[in-house]
Amino acid sequence: MMFSMFVLWIVVFAGISRRARWTIPVAVVTMLWSLVLLKLHMTDPIPLNF
Amino acid sequence: MTASRQLLVFRIINIAALVGLLGVLTGSLDLQIVVGEQPCPLCLLQRSGMIGLAVGPIMNLLWGMRPAHYAVSILAALTGGAASTRQILLHIATPGDPGYGPAVAGFHLYTWAFITFAVGAAGCAVLLLFSGQFNLGDTGVLRRKGPMRIATLTVVVWTFVYLVIIAVTVLPECGLGMCPDDPASNESIKTPVGVFGFLVFVLGSLALGYLLDRLLPSDEDEPAITPIS
Repeated sequence: MMFSMFVLWIVVFAGISRRARWTIPVAVVTMLWSLVLLKLHMTDPIPLNF
Repeated sequence: MTASRQLLVFRIINIAALVGLLGVLTGSLDLQIVVGEQPCPLCLLQRSGMIGLAVGPIMNLLWGMRPAHYAVSILAALTGGAASTRQILLHIATPGDPGYGPAVAGFHLYTWAFITFAVGAAGCAVLLLFSGQFNLGDTGVLRRKGPMRIATLTVVVWTFVYLVIIAVTVLPECGLGMCPDDPASNESIKTPVGVFGFLVFVLGSLALGYLLDRLLPSDEDEPAITPIS
């Protein structure tokens, strides 16, 4: 799953090289996905979760 | 200050920011490959944030200065900063917790990452105050041969190489599933080999940047910038 996040960044770089219009939306999706992964890795029951 | 000189200043600032980020990523890769400390899941999320933070300046340099590019960097800083904050608070919340990984100059790496994200976001916000850079008609460095294009391509290639290394090294640690919370240390490589490898990456990126500058077309007869009237 972490691997997919870095694959998305590689896709963003491909978009940058092609001046593709979807580059920024894919970058935003990648960041949202990283927040999902952050939430999935919150396994400790400390009172600082979101 | 002339328009071209203004643009040069902003381009240099963006390149300097990228070099700074690459320095931080170099430190984390050194810890992983030379020392053998495998990155935890939160560390990987912070590396992802660093890559995102680099994407903004890269787009500024290759596509031209745009507010949206700084916005991408700010969002990446917030995302990476969320992971750093989580990791800092995890270790604060547990009494007697020694923290994860070695400390550098008194702070653990996730604290330094948080500082990097905070400085990155603040830096982007400050640069956004100078809205004149967006009225210079900048279309990026790719249309003109020269040292600026070489420097830009060097740091872009270097960043991409680091991204590929990070992506490839995630697979043996995590596979395609969730990463272990506390990964075991790995076999490390000797420091001279690590230094040699680092020099190969930097000089290789510079060589590729120079080669791309020679191969890519350019508009030598057109002015670099067309101020919008």
